[in-house]
Amino acid sequence: MHKISSQNYPIIQEWIDRGSRVLDLGCGDGSLLEALVNTKQVDGIGVEISHDMILKCIQKGICVYQADIDKDLSEWVDGSFDYVVLNATLQVITRPYKVISEMLRVGRFAVISISNFGYARNRMRVLSQGRVSSRVRLSGCWHDTPVLRFVSIREFISSLEEIGVEIMDARYFFPMNIVSRSRWPLYNLLAREGIFKLRRA
Amino acid sequence: MTDSRTHVETQILSVERPFRFESGDIIPRLDIAYETYGSLNERRDNAVLIEHALSGDAHAAFYHEGDRKPGWWDCMIGPGKAFDTDRWFVICSNVIGGCKGTTGPSSVDPATGKPYGLTFPPMSIRDMVEVQRILLKHLGIDKLKCIAGGSMGGMQALQFFCDYPFQFESFICIASAMKHSAQQIAFNEVGRRAIMADPRWNGGNYYGAAPPEGGLSVARMIGHITYLSEQMMQEKFGRIRKDKESRAVFRPSFEVEHYLDYQGVSFVKRFDANSYLYITNAIDNFDLRSSLSSRGRFRGHGRQRGQHMEDMRSKRGLVISFTSDWLYPSSQSKEIVQFFTALNVQVSYTEVATEHGHDAFLTDYHQPSEIIQGFLSSLSEKSPSPCRTSIGS
Repeated sequence: MHKISSQNYPIIQEWIDRGSRVLDLGCGDGSLLEALVNTKQVDGIGVEISHDMILKCIQKGICVYQADIDKDLSEWVDGSFDYVVLNATLQVITRPYKVISEMLRVGRFAVISISNFGYARNRMRVLSQGRVSSRVRLSGCWHDTPVLRFVSIREFISSLEEIGVEIMDARYFFPMNIVSRSRWPLYNLLAREGIFKLRRA
Repeated sequence: MTDSRTHVETQILSVERPFRFESGDIIPRLDIAYETYGSLNERRDNAVLIEHALSGDAHAAFYHEGDRKPGWWDCMIGPGKAFDTDRWFVICSNVIGGCKGTTGPSSVDPATGKPYGLTFPPMSIRDMVEVQRILLKHLGIDKLKCIAGGSMGGMQALQFFCDYPFQFESFICIASAMKHSAQQIAFNEVGRRAIMADPRWNGGNYYGAAPPEGGLSVARMIGHITYLSEQMMQEKFGRIRKDKESRAVFRPSFEVEHYLDYQGVSFVKRFDANSYLYITNAIDNFDLRSSLSSRGRFRGHGRQRGQHMEDMRSKRGLVISFTSDWLYPSSQSKEIVQFFTALNVQVSYTEVATEHGHDAFLTDYHQPSEIIQGFLSSLSEKSPSPCRTSIGS
């Protein structure tokens, strides 16, 4: 989960305006916010559920709020933030539609990254071994993996249309460290991950 | 100051000039009881002010000569602890209206030569804050690293921070609230009624006679029930009986009855019934939001609202609640976070998992200590705070 999330930092930093207010959902040890504070002077708050991660944020001087993303976003007032970030965490969320709609309620823009379940290697693993790869599961076995949602980029994009969310910008990560702005042919087969900048349509 | 049995004495600052309450009432003079731990550095910028709760006092840490028990927050204050006395100069004082050295209803009114009793002016959380400003001035400290407290101590921390944000770099508020709910007021009212229903209370005029111990101990018993969680009580006492053989009717026989009885009896030895009335009244009347919009807000230093907002910006806050605390539930702490976030204060919030109820703020020190240490260290590592010297205060 960590490797996936930090490769997105440069893109998120590029997207987020200087001095804006940022809410980072599932902020982990606060390293994304730390980077954003240093490069973009943002006013940032992280949301995290694990005590150990919260301690790390606080030690770094990063503002953190202990909460369950699935339940507790209702406490934030409409439009409290410019950007709400959900980096490499969508797969573990129980009610993704609710969370996406909450993100775009408390923030003007949302940034969401996902791991592509439709990626060729993931498909191959299912075909050849009849099971999802450990890369998809992040950690654990079928019964204790934190991953609840197996979504492909194509499905995710069509869901966004369905719930009235517009993609303002996107990046697709292909093998060999190729990052593309546009959807190549066969992107749903060839992209490992995608990251999206969103707003209400 | 590294000996674990470091001794300390409560000091008294005598203020021989009138003190004006928020209500407008005036008393001619004032004593302030306080203790300090650690040492003030040369730049006089490593001070941390600790605020006590309802039944607390200035003796927050270390030992009094001859005592077997240390101060009420000794688990949090000391070398290497949450409030590390090797780094911070820690100050704690008894609140006005209390009975542990600071002037309160049991103190002698110079005008009559008798204890104030109910002629003592009703005081507020803000009056507690103003008294501590006198102390800070006496100690020559006008900028503090942090102000911290739990329960009523948290209320004082919030009030002090909001009234004088330029004096603090940060606040820590533990198991507290922006204002009391109906349920919290209701429990306090039952406690007050218990005291006032005791004939010995005598309209607050019992000094020199037998104090209303019965009423005060019942008040404390009720309080104690609200400080514990149901689960903890069940695990600790269950339905265990202490004296199974006893045939006496309506004598305490369950373990929990004996426990509460002990809590009540030991409390009356160290607390004044009138102080209990005055302090719980101050807690119930506390309402941070409305106190900030009231006219009395900028008294004494003539600052404008805009300047205040600017002083709060980029300051840091830490709010801690406990999962099983049903007296000051986490929802009230979250309300504090939202309030200060909207004022552009950088507030962090954590909810500590515990079964010890509200009492956890005094007993569950492990996780909060880690968090508080990390919080205070991150303050000192950051560039010097934009705290201005307190001009005109």
